[in-house]
Amino acid sequence: MNYFWLGSLLTLLVSACSAPPAKQASSPITIRWSRDPSTLDPLALPNPSAIDAANLLHMALLATDFQANKYAPALAQTLPQVRVLADSLTALDYELRQAATWDDGRPVLATDVDFTLKLLHCPGLPNEGNRAQYGFIREVRLDPVNPRRFTLVCRGRGEEIMIASGDFPILPESALDPAHTLRYLPLAKLQAWPAARPPAPAVAALVQRYRQANLAREPSHLPGCGPYRLTAWDTNHQLRFRRKAHWWADKVQSAPPVLQARPQELVFAVLPDDDATALALRRHEIDVYPQVPARIFQQLQASPKARAEFAFYSQPSYDILTAGFNTRRPILRDKRVRQALSCLFDPAGLSTATQLGQGRRTVGLLPPGSPFYNDSLSLPSLAPDRAMTLLRQAGWQRRADGHWWQPGATHPLALSVRYRTEETTFATTALQFQAAAARIGITVTLLPAESSALTTALQAGDFDVYVRLLKGSPLGFNFATFLHSSTIGNGNLTGFSTPLTDHLLLAIPAEGDARRKRLLLRRLQVVLRDEMPLLPLFYLPTRLVVNRQLQHVVPSGLKPGYALTALSWSDAATPLANSQ
Amino acid sequence: MMSSGSFSLRTRPVAGLALGWLLLLLIVGLLAPWLPLSPTTPDLLLVAAPPATGSGHYLGTDALGRDVLAGLVAGAQRLVLLTLPAVALATLLGTLAGAAAGFWGNQRLRLPIAAGGWVLVAAWWGLRLPGTAFLCILLGIATALTLLTWRVARHPAARRRYTCALPLDSLVLGIITLLGSVPRLLLLVALAAGPPLTTGQLLALLTLLAWPETARLVRGQMHWVRAQPFIEAAQASGLPMSRIWWRHALPHACRPLLAFGPLSLAGLVGLESSLAFLGIGQGPDVVSWGSQLASVRHDTTAWWAAVFPGLALLLTLLALQKLAVLASPATNK
Repeated sequence: MNYFWLGSLLTLLVSACSAPPAKQASSPITIRWSRDPSTLDPLALPNPSAIDAANLLHMALLATDFQANKYAPALAQTLPQVRVLADSLTALDYELRQAATWDDGRPVLATDVDFTLKLLHCPGLPNEGNRAQYGFIREVRLDPVNPRRFTLVCRGRGEEIMIASGDFPILPESALDPAHTLRYLPLAKLQAWPAARPPAPAVAALVQRYRQANLAREPSHLPGCGPYRLTAWDTNHQLRFRRKAHWWADKVQSAPPVLQARPQELVFAVLPDDDATALALRRHEIDVYPQVPARIFQQLQASPKARAEFAFYSQPSYDILTAGFNTRRPILRDKRVRQALSCLFDPAGLSTATQLGQGRRTVGLLPPGSPFYNDSLSLPSLAPDRAMTLLRQAGWQRRADGHWWQPGATHPLALSVRYRTEETTFATTALQFQAAAARIGITVTLLPAESSALTTALQAGDFDVYVRLLKGSPLGFNFATFLHSSTIGNGNLTGFSTPLTDHLLLAIPAEGDARRKRLLLRRLQVVLRDEMPLLPLFYLPTRLVVNRQLQHVVPSGLKPGYALTALSWSDAATPLANSQ
Repeated sequence: MMSSGSFSLRTRPVAGLALGWLLLLLIVGLLAPWLPLSPTTPDLLLVAAPPATGSGHYLGTDALGRDVLAGLVAGAQRLVLLTLPAVALATLLGTLAGAAAGFWGNQRLRLPIAAGGWVLVAAWWGLRLPGTAFLCILLGIATALTLLTWRVARHPAARRRYTCALPLDSLVLGIITLLGSVPRLLLLVALAAGPPLTTGQLLALLTLLAWPETARLVRGQMHWVRAQPFIEAAQASGLPMSRIWWRHALPHACRPLLAFGPLSLAGLVGLESSLAFLGIGQGPDVVSWGSQLASVRHDTTAWWAAVFPGLALLLTLLALQKLAVLASPATNK
């Protein structure tokens, strides 16, 4: 009996110390998601997980080439040809790939692009963000001869116009509108449709069909032209995607990186907690860990075993840690109060505490290395004395009890801060703000929430101050989605807008001349600094840890931080021998 | 408690240490607002700093840069301001409910039938049905009827006709069973889920969950007390039942509470710490030993962030256990 126990113990020890099993080419790649996508409705993608999933199921005209860090043609044969029609109008000539087909074998045609654009503007569908983002596309002109050729007539000029014109998933007309009822309704008419007016009968019927399809939970109800299909969705736990056996891009000769889909199966494990994720990584339960916090990244790098098993990548990203102020709240309507509160954040200290000093401080919504960065502005810093001066200028008085009061007010100045509960970066920022505010007599209540609850609260305007990440991109300067008046309550969570900022936000992507664009962007940074609807604290670096057995790893500063479909398992049986 | 028996700190050094620790916690908890320590202010330059490195953080900082020592003091303050009052309230409520149920049982306490009107009014109020004026009228009628029938019921002949027995024992036992049927932590998590609770709300919740244990104990003891000859003698002498209950039965029924109180406190300390560890019902700016223990999840290498609050919790529970042993009648014989 003793030998039995000894044997069992030895077996356990040997199995615990043995190297992780080598993966087959067809083995699934397990990737960490910090949250569940909540919905896979291609018109309403509320978070990065949903966007990642949509990119697997659907395809856009253009896609991000992570190797070159630029947009490349995906469904489109080439990048569009740009023609200037008039002073403020640009024509973008597209042609779709011959090989592109839907899951049911039908070809992807220009009419599908026309239909999708109209769907993005149909009243009654969850497309508020899309309306603001793609409102610059005024008309779709179909080629009468070639069903794959079309021209997008866009308001404005510039590279952003070209990029944004191809940055939405194309949906099949035949599945949602088999009678082609939307073809007879011009895009401009849908764009100008008054919100109070009931939709046209054809639109109402389409909206009903769209809702009945329940694409939010059942994306398989809609044929896609992306490389994967969803095979399982265990909410808040796991999503599985299987590569299509016959994907149309397999026929494309020398397929560009954006049309490569190497993994046979992708598994996304929903793990909100970073330490649990690190543990799962060490136990080889996940293979790819994107957006690794600085502290965990450092700890893993310090471990010889982890260094042997995983590859580490770090580079600047375009994610900005921001604090936003709800300008709809009476106490935050005055810009001097917002400016005062922004003086209570300590970006330098927070970068040291949460990013080990690797965060890039910024004056605005552009990264410091950008040619459009306004270096004439000073970096925001902790300045409690200036905060008190600004509060006094705004009419607040500090009474004997230490709190700030306005004449006739029944309550002193007090605020609540909402942030996502899972990450220490947000918690540390909120605690630092709370402590700094307490020192000058402002009571701050912290209200951490789980991701989806936070999104709901922010969209409902139920906050005074938020701390969250804004996902940026170097490929375009379309800030309208979170600053324009048309997106208030949707992407624009602060509720801030002025005619000047609205004008700038629309003019910037439409501007083709680099010098004038620079002036507009610098002006926008000055205006935002003065109005202070949100305070950019610093840019975060992006850190990626992957299993060493994975090859073709293309890290990127662009979201999600790596080229997902480029990954594949190495054929080498002993990959750990190659550890660096 | 300490005066009875032959208890001496010299003969029982462990008991002395336990009492000393509890006394220290009490003093620190009471003095916490005046101590120059802020448990929620992060030191951004010293995140997860180890203890005794000359940084001014004697026990180090956690993954958010908060001082561990300040957190320990805040935990002691929470013990004094939340858990102790919760135990006191739960003991009071449990004693009254258990003693009443054990003494009067299901048949001995008779109430005027009109008192049912009060129940209806209370239900109306509880459901927040409309009509304040109507509610006041109902309240008046119910009061008048109750007083009237109370007077009538004083006559022995009318007693049976105008009163009904209140099944107090079944009622209390039913509530105890109901609350006891769900594990305490699960019930607390379910009740505390949602926005962070205020200290008052948390106090009420802890009291709600802690009183049944006391009530069960006192009820059982009261059954034994009620059968004692001195109670029969008091009844035979014509004393009112309420007086017998209050003056003679209750003090005897409460004797086990001396030993049970510290155990009840230990249970609630553990429960509150579990809740804080899970981060349920409390904001992140409320620091307690449980939340300090949870902070080690953010940085598993910062062992000091878990060891010191863990030790504080362990010592407190052991000290309370020791106190319960000291207070038990067997020890003091």
